[in-house]
Amino acid sequence: MRNVFIMSLFTFREALVRKVFIFFLGISAFILIGLAAAFSLIDTEAITQFANPEGKDKMIREIISSLQLIIVTPLAGLCLLLSIFASSSFIPNMLEKGNIDLLLSKPVSRTQLMLGKYFGGILVVFVNIAFLVVGVWSIISLKFSYWEFNFLFLIVIITFTFAVLYALIVFFGITTRSSIPGMMIAYLIYLVLSPVLLLGKDKIHLLTESEIIRTLIKGLYYIVPKTSELMGSISLSLVMKAEINEFRPIISSFIFLIVIMIYSGYLFNKKNF
Amino acid sequence: MTDVIEIHKLTKIYSSSFGKKNIHALIDLSLNVRAGTIFGLLGPNGAGKTTLVKILLGITFPTSGWTKIFNTAISDYTIKKRIGYLPENHKYPPYLTGEEVMIFFGKLSGIKKPELRQKIKELLELVKLEKWKRTKVKAYSKGMMQRLGLAQALLNEPELIFLDEPTDGVDPIGRKEIRDILLALKSKGKTIFLNSHLLSEVELITDRVGILNKGRLIREGTVKELTERKEEYLITFDPDSTLMSIEDLINGFNLTKISELVYSLKVADITELNRLIDMIRKKEVMIKEIIQQKNTLEDIFISLIKEAEGEVK
Repeated sequence: MRNVFIMSLFTFREALVRKVFIFFLGISAFILIGLAAAFSLIDTEAITQFANPEGKDKMIREIISSLQLIIVTPLAGLCLLLSIFASSSFIPNMLEKGNIDLLLSKPVSRTQLMLGKYFGGILVVFVNIAFLVVGVWSIISLKFSYWEFNFLFLIVIITFTFAVLYALIVFFGITTRSSIPGMMIAYLIYLVLSPVLLLGKDKIHLLTESEIIRTLIKGLYYIVPKTSELMGSISLSLVMKAEINEFRPIISSFIFLIVIMIYSGYLFNKKNF
Repeated sequence: MTDVIEIHKLTKIYSSSFGKKNIHALIDLSLNVRAGTIFGLLGPNGAGKTTLVKILLGITFPTSGWTKIFNTAISDYTIKKRIGYLPENHKYPPYLTGEEVMIFFGKLSGIKKPELRQKIKELLELVKLEKWKRTKVKAYSKGMMQRLGLAQALLNEPELIFLDEPTDGVDPIGRKEIRDILLALKSKGKTIFLNSHLLSEVELITDRVGILNKGRLIREGTVKELTERKEEYLITFDPDSTLMSIEDLINGFNLTKISELVYSLKVADITELNRLIDMIRKKEVMIKEIIQQKNTLEDIFISLIKEAEGEVK
Protein backbone atom coordinates (compact mmCIF):
# COMPACT_ATOMS: atom_id res chain seq x y z
CA MET A 1 0.00 0.00 0.00
CA ARG A 2 2.90 2.33 0.88
CA ASN A 3 4.43 1.82 -2.57
CA VAL A 4 1.11 2.58 -4.30
CA PHE A 5 0.89 5.79 -2.26
CA ILE A 6 4.47 6.83 -3.16
CA MET A 7 3.84 6.16 -6.86
CA SER A 8 0.56 8.10 -6.69
CA LEU A 9 2.23 11.12 -5.12
CA PHE A 10 4.97 11.18 -7.73
CA THR A 11 2.38 10.79 -10.49
CA PHE A 12 0.60 13.80 -9.01
CA ARG A 13 3.92 15.64 -9.11
CA GLU A 14 4.36 14.59 -12.77
CA ALA A 15 0.88 15.92 -13.53
CA LEU A 16 1.64 19.29 -11.99
CA VAL A 17 4.52 19.68 -14.42
CA ARG A 18 2.12 19.24 -17.31
CA LYS A 19 0.74 22.57 -18.36
CA VAL A 20 -2.73 21.13 -19.07
CA PHE A 21 -3.61 20.58 -15.43
CA ILE A 22 -2.30 23.98 -14.43
CA PHE A 23 -4.20 25.44 -17.40
CA PHE A 24 -7.43 23.90 -16.14
CA LEU A 25 -6.80 25.07 -12.58
CA GLY A 26 -6.19 28.52 -14.07
CA ILE A 27 -9.48 28.43 -15.99
CA SER A 28 -11.31 27.26 -12.87
CA ALA A 29 -9.75 30.01 -10.77
CA PHE A 30 -10.61 32.60 -13.42
CA ILE A 31 -14.22 31.44 -13.57
CA LEU A 32 -14.54 31.39 -9.79
CA ILE A 33 -13.24 34.96 -9.56
CA GLY A 34 -15.61 36.03 -12.35
CA LEU A 35 -18.49 34.25 -10.65
CA ALA A 36 -17.76 35.89 -7.30
CA ALA A 37 -17.60 39.31 -8.99
CA ALA A 38 -20.85 38.73 -10.92
CA PHE A 39 -22.70 37.49 -7.83
CA SER A 40 -21.63 40.50 -5.83
CA LEU A 41 -23.73 42.56 -8.26
CA ILE A 42 -26.84 40.35 -8.04
CA ASP A 43 -29.58 41.01 -5.55
CA THR A 44 -30.79 37.58 -4.43
CA GLU A 45 -33.84 39.02 -2.69
CA ALA A 46 -35.07 40.36 -6.03
CA ILE A 47 -34.83 36.87 -7.53
CA THR A 48 -36.80 35.18 -4.78
CA GLN A 49 -39.35 37.88 -3.94
CA PHE A 50 -41.96 36.49 -6.34
CA ALA A 51 -42.02 33.08 -4.73
CA ASN A 52 -44.84 32.39 -2.31
CA PRO A 53 -43.54 31.93 1.26
CA GLU A 54 -44.32 28.18 1.43
CA GLY A 55 -42.47 27.45 -1.79
CA LYS A 56 -39.59 29.85 -1.24
CA ASP A 57 -37.15 27.30 0.11
CA LYS A 58 -37.84 24.88 -2.71
CA MET A 59 -37.43 27.63 -5.28
CA ILE A 60 -34.12 28.80 -3.83
CA ARG A 61 -32.89 25.22 -3.77
CA GLU A 62 -33.84 24.73 -7.42
CA ILE A 63 -32.26 28.02 -8.47
CA ILE A 64 -29.06 27.18 -6.65
CA SER A 65 -28.82 23.64 -8.01
CA SER A 66 -29.59 24.79 -11.56
CA LEU A 67 -27.06 27.59 -11.37
CA GLN A 68 -24.41 25.27 -10.02
CA LEU A 69 -25.11 22.66 -12.69
CA ILE A 70 -25.12 25.23 -15.51
CA ILE A 71 -21.71 26.50 -14.45
CA VAL A 72 -20.05 23.22 -13.50
CA THR A 73 -21.31 20.77 -16.15
CA PRO A 74 -19.51 22.31 -19.16
CA LEU A 75 -16.41 22.91 -17.07
CA ALA A 76 -16.40 19.33 -15.79
CA GLY A 77 -16.72 18.14 -19.38
CA LEU A 78 -13.75 20.30 -20.33
CA CYS A 79 -11.82 19.01 -17.33
CA LEU A 80 -12.43 15.41 -18.44
CA LEU A 81 -11.31 16.18 -22.00
CA LEU A 82 -8.12 17.84 -20.77
CA SER A 83 -7.48 15.16 -18.16
CA ILE A 84 -7.73 12.37 -20.73
CA PHE A 85 -5.23 14.24 -22.89
CA ALA A 86 -2.80 14.97 -20.06
CA SER A 87 -2.95 11.62 -18.29
CA SER A 88 -2.65 9.45 -21.39
CA SER A 89 1.14 9.68 -21.28
CA PHE A 90 1.56 8.65 -17.62
CA ILE A 91 1.81 4.92 -18.35
CA PRO A 92 3.85 5.17 -21.60
CA ASN A 93 6.31 7.49 -19.80
CA MET A 94 6.67 4.97 -17.01
CA LEU A 95 7.31 2.19 -19.52
CA GLU A 96 10.12 4.06 -21.29
CA LYS A 97 13.39 2.17 -21.50
CA GLY A 98 15.69 3.27 -18.72
CA ASN A 99 12.80 4.30 -16.50
CA ILE A 100 10.87 1.05 -16.14
CA ASP A 101 14.14 -0.87 -15.62
CA LEU A 102 14.90 1.27 -12.61
CA LEU A 103 11.40 1.00 -11.18
CA LEU A 104 11.32 -2.78 -11.58
CA SER A 105 14.69 -3.11 -9.87
CA LYS A 106 13.17 -1.74 -6.66
CA PRO A 107 11.24 -3.84 -4.12
CA VAL A 108 7.92 -2.90 -5.66
CA SER A 109 5.53 -5.28 -7.40
CA ARG A 110 4.38 -4.55 -10.92
CA THR A 111 0.79 -4.36 -9.72
CA GLN A 112 1.76 -1.70 -7.17
CA LEU A 113 3.48 0.33 -9.90
CA MET A 114 0.43 0.16 -12.14
CA LEU A 115 -2.01 1.00 -9.35
CA GLY A 116 0.20 3.87 -8.20
CA LYS A 117 0.06 5.41 -11.66
CA TYR A 118 -3.69 4.77 -11.82
CA PHE A 119 -4.56 6.33 -8.48
CA GLY A 120 -2.11 9.18 -9.08
CA GLY A 121 -3.96 10.12 -12.27
CA ILE A 122 -7.30 9.93 -10.49
CA LEU A 123 -5.98 12.03 -7.61
CA VAL A 124 -5.06 14.82 -10.04
CA VAL A 125 -8.54 14.90 -11.57
CA PHE A 126 -10.13 14.69 -8.13
CA VAL A 127 -8.18 17.76 -6.97
CA ASN A 128 -9.04 19.69 -10.14
CA ILE A 129 -12.74 18.86 -9.97
CA ALA A 130 -12.94 19.39 -6.23
CA PHE A 131 -11.40 22.84 -6.61
CA LEU A 132 -13.97 23.78 -9.23
CA VAL A 133 -17.04 22.22 -7.61
CA VAL A 134 -16.26 23.36 -4.06
CA GLY A 135 -15.43 26.82 -5.40
CA VAL A 136 -18.71 27.20 -7.31
CA TRP A 137 -20.69 25.66 -4.46
CA SER A 138 -19.12 27.98 -1.86
CA ILE A 139 -19.70 31.16 -3.89
CA ILE A 140 -23.34 30.39 -4.71
CA SER A 141 -24.16 29.05 -1.27
CA LEU A 142 -22.61 32.07 0.41
CA LYS A 143 -24.57 34.41 -1.81
CA PHE A 144 -27.91 32.75 -1.12
CA SER A 145 -26.96 31.76 2.43
CA TYR A 146 -28.28 28.35 1.62
CA TRP A 147 -26.04 25.30 1.95
CA GLU A 148 -27.11 22.33 -0.13
CA PHE A 149 -24.48 19.59 0.17
CA ASN A 150 -25.86 17.34 -2.60
CA PHE A 151 -23.95 19.32 -5.15
CA LEU A 152 -20.67 17.98 -3.76
CA PHE A 153 -21.62 14.48 -4.95
CA LEU A 154 -20.63 15.78 -8.35
CA ILE A 155 -16.96 15.53 -7.35
CA VAL A 156 -17.35 11.79 -6.78
CA ILE A 157 -19.35 11.09 -9.92
CA ILE A 158 -17.04 13.07 -12.26
CA THR A 159 -13.94 11.50 -10.72
CA PHE A 160 -15.54 8.08 -11.11
CA THR A 161 -16.30 8.79 -14.79
CA PHE A 162 -12.67 9.71 -15.31
CA ALA A 163 -11.54 6.59 -13.39
CA VAL A 164 -13.48 4.39 -15.82
CA LEU A 165 -11.99 6.10 -18.89
CA TYR A 166 -8.53 6.18 -17.33
CA ALA A 167 -8.66 2.39 -16.82
CA LEU A 168 -8.89 2.13 -20.61
CA ILE A 169 -6.00 4.54 -21.03
CA VAL A 170 -3.93 2.40 -18.65
CA PHE A 171 -4.83 -0.74 -20.60
CA PHE A 172 -3.84 0.72 -23.97
CA GLY A 173 -0.76 2.34 -22.43
CA ILE A 174 0.46 -1.06 -21.22
CA THR A 175 -0.35 -2.96 -24.40
CA THR A 176 0.89 -0.38 -26.92
CA ARG A 177 3.33 1.72 -24.82
CA SER A 178 1.86 4.71 -26.60
CA SER A 179 -0.42 7.47 -25.38
CA ILE A 180 -2.39 7.92 -28.63
CA PRO A 181 -4.56 4.73 -28.80
CA GLY A 182 -5.78 5.01 -25.20
CA MET A 183 -6.52 8.70 -25.59
CA MET A 184 -8.42 8.14 -28.85
CA ILE A 185 -10.50 5.27 -27.46
CA ALA A 186 -11.34 7.28 -24.34
CA TYR A 187 -12.46 10.24 -26.48
CA LEU A 188 -14.40 7.90 -28.77
CA ILE A 189 -16.30 6.43 -25.83
CA TYR A 190 -16.85 9.71 -24.04
CA LEU A 191 -17.82 11.83 -27.02
CA VAL A 192 -19.35 9.34 -29.47
CA LEU A 193 -20.06 5.79 -28.37
CA SER A 194 -21.62 6.40 -24.98
CA PRO A 195 -24.06 9.16 -26.12
CA VAL A 196 -24.90 7.34 -29.37
CA LEU A 197 -25.51 4.01 -27.62
CA LEU A 198 -27.62 5.68 -24.96
CA LEU A 199 -29.77 7.21 -27.65
CA GLY A 200 -29.61 4.14 -29.89
CA LYS A 201 -30.76 1.52 -27.38
CA ASP A 202 -34.16 3.23 -27.06
CA LYS A 203 -34.58 4.49 -30.61
CA ILE A 204 -32.99 1.64 -32.54
CA HIS A 205 -36.37 0.10 -33.39
CA LEU A 206 -37.13 3.26 -35.38
CA LEU A 207 -33.95 2.95 -37.42
CA THR A 208 -33.74 -0.73 -38.28
CA GLU A 209 -35.83 -3.86 -38.47
CA SER A 210 -32.77 -6.08 -38.16
CA GLU A 211 -32.79 -8.07 -34.94
CA ILE A 212 -29.04 -8.62 -35.21
CA ILE A 213 -28.27 -4.89 -35.31
CA ARG A 214 -30.70 -4.22 -32.46
CA THR A 215 -29.03 -6.94 -30.34
CA LEU A 216 -25.60 -5.63 -31.28
CA ILE A 217 -26.44 -2.07 -30.26
CA LYS A 218 -28.01 -3.21 -27.01
CA GLY A 219 -25.05 -5.53 -26.31
CA LEU A 220 -22.60 -2.72 -26.94
CA TYR A 221 -24.61 -0.45 -24.70
CA TYR A 222 -24.19 -2.87 -21.79
CA ILE A 223 -20.47 -3.35 -22.39
CA VAL A 224 -19.29 0.21 -23.10
CA PRO A 225 -18.92 2.43 -20.01
CA LYS A 226 -21.92 4.68 -19.63
CA THR A 227 -20.16 8.02 -19.29
CA SER A 228 -23.10 9.93 -20.77
CA GLU A 229 -25.45 8.71 -18.08
CA LEU A 230 -22.87 9.23 -15.34
CA MET A 231 -22.27 12.81 -16.40
CA GLY A 232 -25.91 13.38 -17.31
CA SER A 233 -28.93 11.82 -15.63
CA ILE A 234 -27.09 10.40 -12.62
CA SER A 235 -25.27 13.68 -11.85
CA LEU A 236 -28.52 15.58 -12.26
CA SER A 237 -30.51 13.29 -9.99
CA LEU A 238 -27.78 13.33 -7.34
CA VAL A 239 -27.54 17.11 -7.32
CA MET A 240 -31.26 17.83 -7.51
CA LYS A 241 -32.71 14.99 -5.43
CA ALA A 242 -29.74 13.53 -3.57
CA GLU A 243 -30.66 10.10 -4.87
CA ILE A 244 -29.68 7.78 -7.66
CA ASN A 245 -32.66 6.70 -9.71
CA GLU A 246 -30.78 4.03 -11.65
CA PHE A 247 -27.76 2.10 -10.44
CA ARG A 248 -27.20 0.05 -13.60
CA PRO A 249 -24.91 2.58 -15.34
CA ILE A 250 -22.77 2.88 -12.22
CA ILE A 251 -22.55 -0.85 -11.61
CA SER A 252 -21.84 -1.79 -15.22
CA SER A 253 -19.23 0.97 -15.56
CA PHE A 254 -17.62 -0.17 -12.31
CA ILE A 255 -17.53 -3.79 -13.53
CA PHE A 256 -15.95 -2.54 -16.78
CA LEU A 257 -13.32 -0.65 -14.75
CA ILE A 258 -12.49 -3.68 -12.58
CA VAL A 259 -12.28 -6.11 -15.51
CA ILE A 260 -10.04 -3.76 -17.51
CA MET A 261 -7.75 -3.11 -14.53
CA ILE A 262 -7.43 -6.82 -13.68
CA TYR A 263 -6.61 -7.64 -17.30
CA SER A 264 -4.15 -4.71 -17.50
CA GLY A 265 -2.47 -5.95 -14.33
CA TYR A 266 -2.24 -9.47 -15.75
CA LEU A 267 -0.63 -8.19 -18.98
CA PHE A 268 1.74 -5.87 -17.11
CA ASN A 269 2.89 -8.72 -14.88
CA LYS A 270 3.71 -10.85 -17.95
CA LYS A 271 5.40 -8.16 -20.02
CA ASN A 272 9.11 -8.18 -20.92
CA PHE A 273 10.95 -4.88 -20.73
CA MET B 1 32.11 -18.55 -0.12
CA THR B 2 28.47 -18.90 -1.10
CA ASP B 3 27.02 -18.20 -4.52
CA VAL B 4 24.98 -15.02 -4.58
CA ILE B 5 23.85 -15.47 -8.19
CA GLU B 6 22.96 -18.85 -9.68
CA ILE B 7 22.04 -19.15 -13.34
CA HIS B 8 21.04 -22.51 -14.75
CA LYS B 9 20.62 -23.30 -18.46
CA LEU B 10 19.12 -19.91 -19.17
CA THR B 11 17.66 -19.32 -22.62
CA LYS B 12 15.90 -16.21 -23.84
CA ILE B 13 14.29 -16.06 -27.25
CA TYR B 14 12.66 -12.86 -28.45
CA SER B 15 9.92 -13.63 -30.93
CA SER B 16 9.39 -11.17 -33.73
CA SER B 17 5.98 -10.44 -35.22
CA PHE B 18 4.25 -13.61 -36.39
CA GLY B 19 7.27 -15.60 -35.12
CA LYS B 20 9.03 -15.33 -38.47
CA LYS B 21 12.40 -14.43 -37.04
CA ASN B 22 13.32 -15.37 -33.51
CA ILE B 23 16.25 -13.71 -31.80
CA HIS B 24 18.22 -15.95 -29.45
CA ALA B 25 19.45 -13.43 -26.88
CA LEU B 26 20.73 -16.09 -24.47
CA ILE B 27 21.42 -19.74 -25.13
CA ASP B 28 21.73 -22.38 -22.41
CA LEU B 29 23.72 -20.09 -20.14
CA SER B 30 24.89 -21.35 -16.76
CA LEU B 31 26.94 -19.23 -14.38
CA ASN B 32 27.49 -18.70 -10.66
CA VAL B 33 28.79 -15.57 -8.96
CA ARG B 34 30.32 -15.78 -5.51
CA ALA B 35 29.61 -13.43 -2.64
CA GLY B 36 32.06 -10.58 -2.08
CA THR B 37 33.55 -10.63 -5.57
CA ILE B 38 33.43 -8.34 -8.60
CA PHE B 39 32.24 -10.23 -11.65
CA GLY B 40 32.71 -8.63 -15.05
CA LEU B 41 30.52 -9.64 -17.96
CA LEU B 42 32.08 -8.79 -21.29
CA GLY B 43 30.73 -9.07 -24.76
CA PRO B 44 30.25 -7.16 -27.98
CA ASN B 45 27.09 -5.16 -28.56
CA GLY B 46 24.07 -7.46 -28.79
CA ALA B 47 25.83 -10.31 -26.98
CA GLY B 48 23.02 -10.56 -24.43
CA LYS B 49 24.68 -8.86 -21.43
CA THR B 50 21.82 -6.49 -20.65
CA THR B 51 19.22 -9.22 -21.25
CA LEU B 52 20.97 -11.38 -18.68
CA VAL B 53 20.91 -8.62 -16.06
CA LYS B 54 17.28 -7.86 -16.83
CA ILE B 55 16.33 -11.51 -16.33
CA LEU B 56 18.26 -11.62 -13.07
CA LEU B 57 16.28 -8.61 -11.87
CA GLY B 58 12.90 -9.84 -13.09
CA ILE B 59 12.57 -7.06 -15.68
CA THR B 60 12.48 -9.63 -18.49
CA PHE B 61 11.37 -13.25 -18.21
CA PRO B 62 13.42 -16.23 -19.47
CA THR B 63 12.15 -18.59 -22.15
CA SER B 64 13.65 -21.52 -20.23
CA GLY B 65 16.08 -22.18 -17.40
CA TRP B 66 16.13 -20.52 -14.02
CA THR B 67 17.99 -17.98 -11.93
CA LYS B 68 18.29 -17.44 -8.20
CA ILE B 69 19.62 -14.52 -6.22
CA PHE B 70 20.44 -15.10 -2.56
CA ASN B 71 19.01 -18.56 -3.14
CA THR B 72 15.60 -17.03 -3.90
CA ALA B 73 13.70 -16.77 -7.16
CA ILE B 74 13.43 -13.16 -8.34
CA SER B 75 9.65 -13.50 -8.61
CA ASP B 76 9.79 -12.69 -4.88
CA TYR B 77 10.24 -8.95 -5.40
CA THR B 78 11.08 -8.29 -1.74
CA ILE B 79 14.53 -9.75 -2.42
CA LYS B 80 15.24 -6.54 -4.33
CA LYS B 81 15.67 -4.77 -1.00
CA ARG B 82 19.13 -6.34 -1.02
CA ILE B 83 19.93 -5.38 -4.61
CA GLY B 84 21.08 -2.15 -6.29
CA TYR B 85 20.96 -1.54 -10.03
CA LEU B 86 22.33 1.04 -12.38
CA PRO B 87 20.86 0.41 -15.83
CA GLU B 88 22.44 1.46 -19.09
CA ASN B 89 20.87 4.70 -20.42
CA HIS B 90 18.78 5.20 -17.30
CA LYS B 91 16.18 7.93 -17.34
CA TYR B 92 14.89 10.00 -14.49
CA PRO B 93 11.86 12.27 -14.55
CA PRO B 94 13.43 15.48 -15.94
CA TYR B 95 11.38 17.73 -13.68
CA LEU B 96 12.94 16.26 -10.51
CA THR B 97 16.16 17.49 -8.93
CA GLY B 98 18.97 15.09 -8.13
CA GLU B 99 17.92 15.05 -4.50
CA GLU B 100 14.26 14.39 -5.38
CA VAL B 101 15.30 11.46 -7.59
CA MET B 102 17.12 10.02 -4.60
CA ILE B 103 14.12 10.62 -2.33
CA PHE B 104 11.78 8.91 -4.81
CA PHE B 105 13.91 5.80 -5.26
CA GLY B 106 14.82 5.75 -1.58
CA LYS B 107 11.15 5.70 -0.62
CA LEU B 108 10.45 2.97 -3.17
CA SER B 109 13.31 0.99 -1.62
CA GLY B 110 11.51 1.20 1.71
CA ILE B 111 14.00 3.50 3.48
CA LYS B 112 12.47 5.54 6.29
CA LYS B 113 12.67 9.36 6.17
CA PRO B 114 15.33 10.33 8.77
CA GLU B 115 17.67 7.60 7.60
CA LEU B 116 16.98 8.49 3.97
CA ARG B 117 18.01 12.16 4.39
CA GLN B 118 21.33 11.14 5.93
CA LYS B 119 21.94 8.44 3.32
CA ILE B 120 21.23 10.82 0.43
CA LYS B 121 23.66 13.37 1.85
CA GLU B 122 26.41 10.77 2.21
CA LEU B 123 25.93 9.29 -1.25
CA LEU B 124 25.69 12.61 -3.09
CA GLU B 125 28.93 13.59 -1.39
CA LEU B 126 30.49 10.28 -2.37
CA VAL B 127 29.67 10.77 -6.07
CA LYS B 128 30.48 14.50 -5.84
CA LEU B 129 26.99 15.74 -6.66
CA GLU B 130 26.26 17.48 -3.35
CA LYS B 131 26.62 20.88 -5.04
CA TRP B 132 24.12 19.93 -7.75
CA LYS B 133 21.47 18.26 -5.63
CA ARG B 134 18.94 21.05 -6.12
CA THR B 135 19.48 21.23 -9.88
CA LYS B 136 16.89 19.55 -12.11
CA VAL B 137 18.29 16.38 -13.67
CA LYS B 138 17.44 17.62 -17.17
CA ALA B 139 20.41 19.98 -16.75
CA TYR B 140 22.80 17.15 -15.78
CA SER B 141 25.57 16.00 -18.11
CA LYS B 142 25.93 12.32 -19.04
CA GLY B 143 28.69 11.92 -16.48
CA MET B 144 26.59 13.50 -13.74
CA MET B 145 23.67 11.22 -14.62
CA GLN B 146 25.97 8.21 -14.23
CA ARG B 147 27.13 9.45 -10.84
CA LEU B 148 23.55 10.01 -9.74
CA GLY B 149 22.66 6.55 -11.07
CA LEU B 150 25.43 5.01 -9.01
CA ALA B 151 24.28 6.92 -5.92
CA GLN B 152 20.68 5.71 -6.30
CA ALA B 153 21.91 2.14 -6.82
CA LEU B 154 23.65 2.32 -3.44
CA LEU B 155 20.78 3.94 -1.52
CA ASN B 156 19.50 0.78 0.15
CA GLU B 157 23.01 -0.40 1.08
CA PRO B 158 22.64 -3.37 -1.26
CA GLU B 159 24.56 -6.58 -0.82
CA LEU B 160 24.52 -7.17 -4.56
CA ILE B 161 24.97 -4.40 -7.12
CA PHE B 162 24.35 -4.68 -10.84
CA LEU B 163 26.07 -2.01 -12.90
CA ASP B 164 25.48 -1.75 -16.63
CA GLU B 165 28.21 0.37 -18.23
CA PRO B 166 28.71 2.47 -15.08
CA THR B 167 31.50 4.64 -16.50
CA ASP B 168 29.79 5.39 -19.79
CA GLY B 169 30.18 9.11 -20.48
CA VAL B 170 32.33 9.67 -17.40
CA ASP B 171 35.69 11.45 -17.75
CA PRO B 172 38.94 9.62 -16.85
CA ILE B 173 39.13 11.13 -13.36
CA GLY B 174 35.50 10.25 -12.74
CA ARG B 175 36.17 6.71 -13.95
CA LYS B 176 38.99 6.32 -11.50
CA GLU B 177 36.73 7.60 -8.72
CA ILE B 178 33.99 5.13 -9.68
CA ARG B 179 36.55 2.31 -9.76
CA ASP B 180 37.68 3.29 -6.29
CA ILE B 181 34.09 3.32 -5.04
CA LEU B 182 33.55 -0.18 -6.46
CA LEU B 183 36.74 -1.48 -4.86
CA ALA B 184 35.71 0.09 -1.54
CA LEU B 185 32.33 -1.64 -1.83
CA LYS B 186 34.04 -4.93 -2.50
CA SER B 187 36.20 -4.48 0.57
CA LYS B 188 32.97 -4.16 2.56
CA GLY B 189 31.92 -7.59 1.29
CA LYS B 190 29.49 -6.43 -1.41
CA THR B 191 29.10 -8.42 -4.59
CA ILE B 192 29.28 -6.47 -7.83
CA PHE B 193 28.08 -7.66 -11.23
CA LEU B 194 29.59 -5.39 -13.83
CA ASN B 195 28.55 -5.20 -17.48
CA SER B 196 31.06 -3.30 -19.52
CA HIS B 197 32.79 -3.12 -22.84
CA LEU B 198 35.68 -1.12 -21.38
CA LEU B 199 38.00 -4.09 -21.10
CA SER B 200 40.94 -2.26 -19.55
CA GLU B 201 38.69 -1.11 -16.73
CA VAL B 202 37.21 -4.55 -16.14
CA GLU B 203 40.72 -5.97 -16.04
CA LEU B 204 41.64 -3.53 -13.29
CA ILE B 205 38.91 -4.35 -10.80
CA THR B 206 37.23 -7.69 -11.48
CA ASP B 207 37.94 -10.97 -9.77
CA ARG B 208 36.23 -13.12 -12.38
CA VAL B 209 35.21 -12.44 -15.93
CA GLY B 210 32.69 -14.02 -18.27
CA ILE B 211 32.79 -13.47 -22.01
CA LEU B 212 29.46 -13.57 -23.77
CA ASN B 213 29.00 -13.75 -27.51
CA LYS B 214 25.72 -14.15 -29.34
CA GLY B 215 24.00 -15.33 -26.18
CA ARG B 216 26.59 -17.97 -25.29
CA LEU B 217 29.07 -17.83 -22.45
CA ILE B 218 32.27 -18.67 -24.33
CA ARG B 219 34.76 -18.29 -21.47
CA GLU B 220 34.71 -17.74 -17.74
CA GLY B 221 37.50 -17.47 -15.21
CA THR B 222 39.70 -15.14 -13.23
CA VAL B 223 41.42 -12.33 -15.12
CA LYS B 224 44.75 -14.10 -14.41
CA GLU B 225 43.49 -17.40 -15.80
CA LEU B 226 42.27 -15.75 -18.95
CA THR B 227 45.27 -13.56 -19.64
CA GLU B 228 48.32 -15.65 -18.75
CA ARG B 229 50.13 -17.56 -21.45
CA LYS B 230 51.21 -20.57 -19.47
CA GLU B 231 54.09 -21.80 -21.62
CA GLU B 232 55.60 -18.50 -22.66
CA TYR B 233 58.30 -16.64 -20.76
CA LEU B 234 60.51 -13.67 -21.40
CA ILE B 235 64.07 -14.16 -20.14
CA THR B 236 66.40 -11.21 -19.67
CA PHE B 237 70.10 -12.00 -19.19
CA ASP B 238 72.61 -9.96 -17.30
CA PRO B 239 74.75 -7.73 -19.57
CA ASP B 240 77.92 -9.37 -18.22
CA SER B 241 76.92 -12.76 -19.63
CA THR B 242 78.82 -14.01 -22.62
CA LEU B 243 76.61 -14.09 -25.67
CA MET B 244 78.23 -17.24 -26.96
CA SER B 245 77.09 -19.17 -23.95
CA ILE B 246 73.51 -18.08 -24.49
CA GLU B 247 73.54 -18.87 -28.20
CA ASP B 248 74.75 -22.36 -27.39
CA LEU B 249 71.62 -22.98 -25.38
CA ILE B 250 69.24 -22.16 -28.18
CA ASN B 251 69.79 -25.51 -29.81
CA GLY B 252 67.94 -27.64 -27.35
CA PHE B 253 65.11 -25.22 -26.60
CA ASN B 254 62.50 -23.13 -28.34
CA LEU B 255 64.29 -19.89 -27.54
CA THR B 256 63.83 -16.85 -29.79
CA LYS B 257 66.06 -13.83 -29.62
CA ILE B 258 64.06 -10.63 -29.10
CA SER B 259 66.95 -8.26 -28.45
CA GLU B 260 70.61 -8.51 -27.42
CA LEU B 261 69.85 -9.81 -23.94
CA VAL B 262 66.17 -10.66 -24.11
CA TYR B 263 64.85 -14.01 -25.29
CA SER B 264 61.41 -15.43 -25.60
CA LEU B 265 61.02 -19.01 -24.42
CA LYS B 266 58.30 -21.50 -25.19
CA VAL B 267 58.28 -24.62 -23.07
CA ALA B 268 56.05 -27.64 -22.79
CA ASP B 269 55.76 -27.37 -19.02
CA ILE B 270 57.40 -25.98 -15.92
CA THR B 271 59.90 -28.90 -15.78
CA GLU B 272 61.33 -27.86 -19.11
CA LEU B 273 61.63 -24.28 -17.88
CA ASN B 274 63.54 -25.43 -14.82
CA ARG B 275 65.77 -27.68 -16.95
CA LEU B 276 66.73 -24.66 -19.03
CA ILE B 277 67.40 -22.56 -15.93
CA ASP B 278 69.63 -25.33 -14.56
CA MET B 279 71.59 -25.44 -17.81
CA ILE B 280 71.98 -21.67 -17.94
CA ARG B 281 73.16 -21.52 -14.37
CA LYS B 282 75.56 -24.41 -14.99
CA LYS B 283 77.21 -22.30 -17.66
CA GLU B 284 77.34 -19.46 -15.16
CA VAL B 285 75.21 -17.18 -17.28
CA MET B 286 73.45 -14.63 -15.09
CA ILE B 287 69.65 -14.40 -15.40
CA LYS B 288 68.29 -10.94 -14.64
CA GLU B 289 64.57 -11.80 -14.79
CA ILE B 290 62.06 -14.32 -16.03
CA ILE B 291 58.56 -13.03 -16.73
CA GLN B 292 55.60 -15.15 -17.68
CA GLN B 293 54.12 -13.71 -20.83
CA LYS B 294 50.61 -12.25 -20.52
CA ASN B 295 47.89 -11.24 -22.91
CA THR B 296 45.77 -8.25 -22.19
CA LEU B 297 42.10 -8.94 -21.61
CA GLU B 298 41.49 -7.14 -24.87
CA ASP B 299 43.76 -9.61 -26.78
CA ILE B 300 41.90 -12.54 -25.26
CA PHE B 301 38.51 -10.97 -25.84
CA ILE B 302 39.20 -10.27 -29.51
CA SER B 303 40.72 -13.69 -30.16
CA LEU B 304 37.84 -15.49 -28.41
CA ILE B 305 35.21 -13.52 -30.27
CA LYS B 306 36.99 -14.15 -33.59
CA GLU B 307 37.31 -17.83 -32.74
CA ALA B 308 33.60 -17.99 -31.90
CA GLU B 309 32.68 -16.13 -35.08
CA GLY B 310 34.79 -18.64 -37.04
CA GLU B 311 32.96 -21.52 -35.43
CA VAL B 312 29.63 -19.96 -36.24
CA LYS B 313 30.64 -19.45 -39.87
